[in-house]
Amino acid sequence: MKAPKLFAWVPGLLALVAVLLTLLPQGKTRGFDLAGFARLPVLQGGRVKPLDSVARNSLLMIQGKQSLSFEGRTVGPDEWLLDVLFRSTTADTQPIFVINDPDVLGLMSIQQSANRYFSFATLLPHIAEIEKQAQAAMNLEPAHRTRFQSAILELYQRLIVYHQLANTLQAAGSTGLLAEIQDARNPGSVDLHNDMTRLAYFRPLPPRRNQDADAWLTIGAGLQAHAQGSTHPALAMLGAAGAAYAGGDAQAFNGATATLQELVASQRPEARARASHEFLFNQAEPFYLGMVIYLLALLSLFVSWVWKPERLQPAAYSLLVAGAIVHTAGLISRILLQGRPPVTNLYSSAIFVGWVAVVLGVILERMYRRGFATAVAGAAGFASLIVAHHLAGDGDTMEMMRAVLDSNFWLATHVVTITIGYGGTFLAGAIAIAYTLRKHLVPNLDEKTSQALLDTTYGILCFSLLFSFVGTVLGGIWADQSWGRFWGWDPKENGALLIVLWNALILHARLGIYIEDRGLMAMAIVGNIITSLAWFGVNMLGVGLHSYGFMDKAFWALLVFVLSQLALMGFCLLPARFWVALPQRGEPKK
Amino acid sequence: MADTPTPLPRRLWDALASLELTLISLALLMALVLLCTLAQTRMGIFGAVQTYMRSFIVWWQVPALPFRLPVFPGGVLVGLMLLFNLTAALIKRFDFTWSKVGLWIVHAGLILLIAGEFSSGAFQVETNMNIEVGQTVNFTESSRDIELTITHTKDPSHDQIYSIPASLLRRSESIAVPGTPITLRVKRYFENATLAMREQTDPPSLATAGVGADVKVVAQPAVVSDSEMNQTSVFLEPVLKGQSFGTWLVSPGLAAPQTFVDEGQTYAMAMQHRRYYLPYSVTLKEFRHDVYAGTDIPKNFSSLVHISHPAKSEERDVLIYMNQPLRYEGRTFYQASYGKEGKLSILQVVQNPGWTLPYISCGIITLGLLLHFGLTLRRSLQQRRAA
Repeated sequence: MKAPKLFAWVPGLLALVAVLLTLLPQGKTRGFDLAGFARLPVLQGGRVKPLDSVARNSLLMIQGKQSLSFEGRTVGPDEWLLDVLFRSTTADTQPIFVINDPDVLGLMSIQQSANRYFSFATLLPHIAEIEKQAQAAMNLEPAHRTRFQSAILELYQRLIVYHQLANTLQAAGSTGLLAEIQDARNPGSVDLHNDMTRLAYFRPLPPRRNQDADAWLTIGAGLQAHAQGSTHPALAMLGAAGAAYAGGDAQAFNGATATLQELVASQRPEARARASHEFLFNQAEPFYLGMVIYLLALLSLFVSWVWKPERLQPAAYSLLVAGAIVHTAGLISRILLQGRPPVTNLYSSAIFVGWVAVVLGVILERMYRRGFATAVAGAAGFASLIVAHHLAGDGDTMEMMRAVLDSNFWLATHVVTITIGYGGTFLAGAIAIAYTLRKHLVPNLDEKTSQALLDTTYGILCFSLLFSFVGTVLGGIWADQSWGRFWGWDPKENGALLIVLWNALILHARLGIYIEDRGLMAMAIVGNIITSLAWFGVNMLGVGLHSYGFMDKAFWALLVFVLSQLALMGFCLLPARFWVALPQRGEPKK
Repeated sequence: MADTPTPLPRRLWDALASLELTLISLALLMALVLLCTLAQTRMGIFGAVQTYMRSFIVWWQVPALPFRLPVFPGGVLVGLMLLFNLTAALIKRFDFTWSKVGLWIVHAGLILLIAGEFSSGAFQVETNMNIEVGQTVNFTESSRDIELTITHTKDPSHDQIYSIPASLLRRSESIAVPGTPITLRVKRYFENATLAMREQTDPPSLATAGVGADVKVVAQPAVVSDSEMNQTSVFLEPVLKGQSFGTWLVSPGLAAPQTFVDEGQTYAMAMQHRRYYLPYSVTLKEFRHDVYAGTDIPKNFSSLVHISHPAKSEERDVLIYMNQPLRYEGRTFYQASYGKEGKLSILQVVQNPGWTLPYISCGIITLGLLLHFGLTLRRSLQQRRAA
């Protein structure tokens, strides 16, 4: 086989093999089978998920990242959660609460320094004051809170998550669940059971085979039932696992974990299968890996412009395809786990928008084979997965759907169609940017490629108009079905309408030859602005200028994006004599 | 003959059917949609839609000027422009070719879609039905409009109810209530106000009779948020055959109606949400509110109601839940909200004679798109075969 042929598939294959390697079982940490325990299903936030998801999401909420370094080594989310659940004295000293606000630090008379992470033990003496300030902030509308108030409320909510976790399997600081089981019949324990039921962050005791699938119990409820003579078999197993973990007895811990797994497998095989699937999904981090592969594809393509294009361009394409495969696998995994169509919230819409752009890009590259579609699709896939990554900070990305949204039919039709419309409009904008940059940077323009870029943009704009229009109309029908008006002029609807109108405007202007190539491309770039406003901007309308926190950061990111697109539009509109300044230095064009 | 200028009607017709007008209308509509969306943070959705979308002209009140300035064409005007432009273009440029027939059908569907939005703008009435478990109700209430009702009891077995919209009270100094000998003198009108018990230090109340004499009324700016209600309050002096019955405060903030008696006949005055009476009654038998296990996230709301329509001798139970409204006698009942810890169900009631228009137009557009893409696909396949 010739070398160039190898370059068309070997890099992609290598990337896929690397992804598969991440799915191999983890080794044991200090001899403890952490993965076995993290695989156990529990009920949290209205759905069954593995403890691993609880660990990752709560650590992400508290710390902003999914692992921490403590005493010179990296502690993963599962180990951290076990410490919180069973060894709260250790967990309390781990610096996980990130505090950036100087006033919040000042409240605890701590000077701002490079160290932004604080342990529960450090914060404990100030809990009463934090609670007082947070309660005051809670009574205000989010838009009226000061920066300090938003920050203190956020810290308070993170402390509550931690406090709830530490009291879910045993009372924080107690001698352990086994002792609580022994004392369960003491009349004085009733208060403890009630407190534990109230505080429980998740429900660990699975329903028996013949019970309702939602009938998971908290430890508090389990202890209460035990006192009344009906003992849940998992109670003692969890107690044993906890005692072994706290006592450092890896063998006993692994034994207790195995019996828990067997119990769940016999009583609730579907919950166990679900939890195992989600555990694998968490471990593989398909969207993170997809992001890395897209970046590699982009880099190889950039290099191909100056060095060995005949090898690196196919290599870049194979990496793009590999990224698309990983991205698709992650998307399908999410669909199966949630039992819902791909788009259920802002996070998943970002994932899906990127996926649409990448798939269209893969098809376009296959048609034209000029590299530009690989560049545009790789950039779009990478950017959307970055956006999604930043949207995941709120915790569970597979939360349950509120009643009015609980309709798979409309999620599958309206939401998916309109998100495809967003993806298409962004792709058209991205191609227009590529066209602009090419005109300004590349000395010897190949006219065929320019024409291909124009044709593609026009085609994709038609595609986007179709999908955004159909999606908007389907949204109207859903609105008529669920609250009696086809069109209510609410911000999200208006955003979608703006995209439809803009795409229609571009196509009609082109039809009447009111705009030429540059005008079409400049308008396609403006499409990026309109889509980003419709997608994220409308969500910020409820947020006043005085509000801080996540959406505020997102507001500045959006502003920067809009300004960058305006600048690119300006570049695009510059007359032809500003293009291609480079040939003057090189050979004159024919 | 080339020098003959095109006659004016012809030029107007060309302009009406022109692509320029399409582009201008689309651009104006985009600007309106954007302005309307941004204005919603200040005026609420209802206010912004009234100002930008359901108006011919967008007005701007310059504080220094005594009159308003027209600054932008409103949604109605732009919608009409688009409607006429589409129709004219369709008539003028229509030629039957297979390559275009799908697109013609799509544009015809668009005309109907815009017409449907005009129809619901003009005829759609949105009201609420607040109904407690076990209660039977035969009216719906406006969530926005307030009216003054006067219940005239001639004898214990017979009540006559008269109602006056709050907007009329705002404009008038004195109103003769039709069908009664009463004339109401409007002493003071508050679009929105808060009520409090009057302290010793407060100035005396305008009211000389009823509970209003002990109440302090503080004017408030009219609400803008869509979830809030104005507490429209008014000081009234009823006059009967030249005799004054004192000045009364009437407000939704007062628990009881204000009642005066003339020759054994009682008149009870109250401010309440505008009511629309139905020829049938609705009884709430059960309200359910499910959440996902271990959370506060709502999973489902449903109201089991009984409909009783004596004129049609219809008696039946209906379950109304999320995405599953009841369409009955030209009105549609949706599960909107709930209150009183699940004892009160709030149904949104929508009356829109044109509700089928969007469905029909969507059907037409879908047909057009399928035809267009089907034919395009066939053509390109034929070309490929020929090549």
